[in-house]
Amino acid sequence: MCDKLLPYAWLIPVFPFVSFIMLLAFRHRLQAYSSYIGSALTGLSLVAAIVVWVTGWSVQSVQHTGVWLAFESVELQMGTWITPLNLVMLNIVAFISVCVHIYSHTYMKDERRRSTYFAWLGLFTAAMLGLCLSPNLLQFYMCWELVGLGSFLLIGFHFEEDKAKAAAKKAFIMTRIGDIGLLAGLILLYWQTGSLQFTDIYTVISSGELEAFHVTLISLLIFAGAVGKSGQLPLHTWLPDAMEGPTPVSALIHAATMVAAGVYLVAVLHPLFMASDTALTVVAVTGGVTATVAAVIAIAQTDIKRILAYSTISQLGYMMLALGSAALAAGVFHLMTHAFFKALLFLTAGVVIHHFKTRNIHQMGHAFSELRFTGMTFLIGTLAISGFPLFSGFFSKEAVLSAVWHDERYLLFSLALLTTFLTAFYMFRLFFIVFMGQGKPTSGPKKALSMALRLPIAALSVPAIGAGFLYTPWFSAFGNWITQWQTAQIDPGHEVPWWMMPSAIMCSLAGIMLAWVMYQKLRVPLRELPYLHAFTLRGFYMDELYHYTIKQPLQFMSTTTVYIEKFVVETVMESSSSFVKWVGKYGARLQSGQVQTYGAVGFVGLSILVFILFWTGGYF
Amino acid sequence: MDWLSLLIFSPILGMLLLATVHRKNESLIKAIAVSATALSMVIAVLVFVLFHQGISHAVSYQWINFGHDNIVFLLNYELGVQGFSVLLLLLTSVLTLLAAFVATFQIKKNLKPFFLWLLIMEVGMLGVFSSENLVLFFLFFEMTLVPMFFLIGRWGDRERERTAYRFLIYNGLGSAVLLLAISALFARTGTTNIALLQEIMANEVQGSAAISETFRNGILWAMLIAFGIKMPIVPLHTWMVRVHVHAPPVLVIIHAGVLLKIGAYGIITFGAGIFPEQFAQISTFIAILGVINILYGALLALGQTELKHVLAYSSVSHMGIVLLGVAALNQPGYHGAIFQTLSHGVIAALLFLIVGIVHSRTQSTQLKDLTGLAKAMPIASGCWLVAGMATLGLPGTSGFISELLAFLGLFETEPILAGVGMVGLILTTVYVMRIILSMTHGKHTLKPPTELRDLTHSEMAPVFVLVLLIIAIGVWPSLLTSTLNLTVQTISIGIGG
Repeated sequence: MCDKLLPYAWLIPVFPFVSFIMLLAFRHRLQAYSSYIGSALTGLSLVAAIVVWVTGWSVQSVQHTGVWLAFESVELQMGTWITPLNLVMLNIVAFISVCVHIYSHTYMKDERRRSTYFAWLGLFTAAMLGLCLSPNLLQFYMCWELVGLGSFLLIGFHFEEDKAKAAAKKAFIMTRIGDIGLLAGLILLYWQTGSLQFTDIYTVISSGELEAFHVTLISLLIFAGAVGKSGQLPLHTWLPDAMEGPTPVSALIHAATMVAAGVYLVAVLHPLFMASDTALTVVAVTGGVTATVAAVIAIAQTDIKRILAYSTISQLGYMMLALGSAALAAGVFHLMTHAFFKALLFLTAGVVIHHFKTRNIHQMGHAFSELRFTGMTFLIGTLAISGFPLFSGFFSKEAVLSAVWHDERYLLFSLALLTTFLTAFYMFRLFFIVFMGQGKPTSGPKKALSMALRLPIAALSVPAIGAGFLYTPWFSAFGNWITQWQTAQIDPGHEVPWWMMPSAIMCSLAGIMLAWVMYQKLRVPLRELPYLHAFTLRGFYMDELYHYTIKQPLQFMSTTTVYIEKFVVETVMESSSSFVKWVGKYGARLQSGQVQTYGAVGFVGLSILVFILFWTGGYF
Repeated sequence: MDWLSLLIFSPILGMLLLATVHRKNESLIKAIAVSATALSMVIAVLVFVLFHQGISHAVSYQWINFGHDNIVFLLNYELGVQGFSVLLLLLTSVLTLLAAFVATFQIKKNLKPFFLWLLIMEVGMLGVFSSENLVLFFLFFEMTLVPMFFLIGRWGDRERERTAYRFLIYNGLGSAVLLLAISALFARTGTTNIALLQEIMANEVQGSAAISETFRNGILWAMLIAFGIKMPIVPLHTWMVRVHVHAPPVLVIIHAGVLLKIGAYGIITFGAGIFPEQFAQISTFIAILGVINILYGALLALGQTELKHVLAYSSVSHMGIVLLGVAALNQPGYHGAIFQTLSHGVIAALLFLIVGIVHSRTQSTQLKDLTGLAKAMPIASGCWLVAGMATLGLPGTSGFISELLAFLGLFETEPILAGVGMVGLILTTVYVMRIILSMTHGKHTLKPPTELRDLTHSEMAPVFVLVLLIIAIGVWPSLLTSTLNLTVQTISIGIGG
């Protein structure tokens, strides 16, 4: 069974790609059907992904590749690769993409450029699925960049708005900075290992032939790519701005899938990172600091999508922290649960934004009574992300915490625990203000949510509640499945200290309580701490920092070069052309018409030539 | 059958026909020009196909002989192609056809002389890439200069005459240096046949006098300067920026797409090809020049306020990658350099094709005037996006393959310089984002959108051909490597790579 079907895994990304081509080529004719075409083709790829999952779940690692580019010593390949890790990613991406396609059917129904929208979604989905199937780092990188293109196009979808334009530009450039690191890393890795196939890389690493310096350098360069894509500090500032894109896009790209690609990259190259303690430490510290800082910033935000964006950054930090603590399974597990509940949160937030016609949470309120279904599902997402017991986020956060504890990085552990508290606090702050706050009911007629909106939200709520039971302290099948194929080791399944679970629960409950007291009971006015509040609201002034430390020096350098070009290079070059003119001008005077002068010059010249001929004795 | 001569001189048929047509009969002139260039393209495709079937196309006729006693100077009419040059022939013929086609609606006055010059130039360009002999190469090389001088001087913008003179002076200087180098080689070795020269330099056959290291270095440097002006290598680039800006966009398609590639072709085939050991000695220096080209060009591109200036400096920056690839002295590096030569030809052609189209709508190429074209011109904007993405080397476009291979090569031999060069890729991203976003995104303010027509059907044809070429090479690079393998092996065996 699996021999017959797995070679066709390449079809998974082809379906959405066909949707992209069709919708782009016939964008006017297919305008009315664009959402159906997009959803159907993505649906097909979900079916294909599920089929591959069902047939290939016992498989450790199966490759089907062909030569893409070869000359003498170099051979680069393309193809598909099925491993437990890929299967998880494929199914998450396909599932959420289908949800977002269906949701967009209603959400984007008044859009003039629907075909284009669904075409870009198809391009993104195809690239993302291709990324998950990559058997080597080169194909991975190619899809990685195309994913970035899709993100750029969708953030800038409303191209006439200056904010969207700036956000698209920022996202592309910031992630590209990291990508260049990844490209350098993969080239260096190629020269070290002689191949870019992941399986070959594993073999070389396990043989221990690589120098420690190279391993550290390469893994840090590759991590730079992950930092850019996954919005880790210090390259995170593009992600909150990316919220200018349509909300379903934020759910798919900037919450559930693309930003998780950086985590996936570290996961798939985990043996490489494991070979260098420095690299692991860098990953863990980056993750831990990002998780806390982003959570602090999220507290002060007033834009519902920006709050969710910072919370995404923070949760991605958790995943990095887990991977940096040598816990592959915990990181991937949190990636999975986060994908579900964050997509759910964004999709419900889309309904809320649509309802209130604003993204500022202080102009919302009282939504629970009007949007019962949305309120309930948003609450599910909020409980899951806050780590409320038995929701999916609870178990994955638990796994992350115990991994960090086990890794004996106690400072990072306390940061992670603090972040649990902060997460619960800012998420319930959001929930209480938007759904329970005092706001006058909107006057418009109540309209039931369309099926196309309800269905994806409902479909996402199920795993947001239940996906956690796949990997619990007493049931580690998922962990074994994810780790075993890569290193032939069973997930160690750490001995969890008895106080771990209660303290995590305490932290998240404390956060919820504090939010309830402050925003429900006392209704604390905002801006109580003037400077600190402004500081956090502006995201620790990171944008301003970059403006003065990178953008302005770059502009200065560029202006300087323009002046060098103008006054140094042009002047010197100008002199060579004026030299030609000078020769022409004075050379012309030689032609004076005096035959005696001509004769004299001719005679002297001839004697010099004859002299040379005799001196050298023939040819020179 | 002598396919190459047929190819090179095929445009002359068109010229003869054009000569008989009255200059007022514009539609006939256009038809003849397009079909003449199309004919050359068909022959070029035939040459390519035959080459793939193992026909080397080498021809040699006795041409000029002189000398006395045992020292004979042989100057034959020798043509031949290898993988690199056959692809350049294809590129030349395709871009000339596209340029002729685009010129039919973008050039408004003096059509007859325009096409006559264009066809002469095509003879020169096709000849350059099929000469197996340096003197012949030089003759064809000069044959491209004169038409270009008149084309810039007559059909350019207000600065056209100054630009034409500037073009002539710099290229004339380059030619003078090249001529000196060729004469010295000829005098010393008695031949200008490239294959024979390679042999002589490799093992000094025929008992010719020992050729000193100084002499070899001297000739190599002369060639570097001559082709460095053409390519261009910073700081010899100022003339080409002017040409990019002041020549008509349709001519820049040929200029950036083919003529500048003669520089890269010369450095790869003659510089590294004939003097491999000397070239290997200065490879670090070449790599440094490449890095300077990349960074300097990119920084300047960032600081410009006019679109054509940005693109001109972007060409400077991208030629740096060719230098990096050659300086790597290994197989991936050479492939990268050659891919970059070809791919930049196609990308630059697409960029200037769209610039020409946009200019015909907006009458301005100032970045501040060009905003929000995506609404009125979605197809043009989409193609502009493809061109921009190819410029910054997005996977799936031809630009990625060349950057990947060039850096893959250089990281093996000069990892530090390669790392510095990669910073240039970030700068490239920044200026490409700037030109894409400022042209397509935002709101258009200059004219009502009704006046901005999207691509017409006749404009779509050349634009789509180039877009497809860029993507085809990017997705399926083996298309080119199968043709290139032989060339690269020849070069790298010489260098010992």
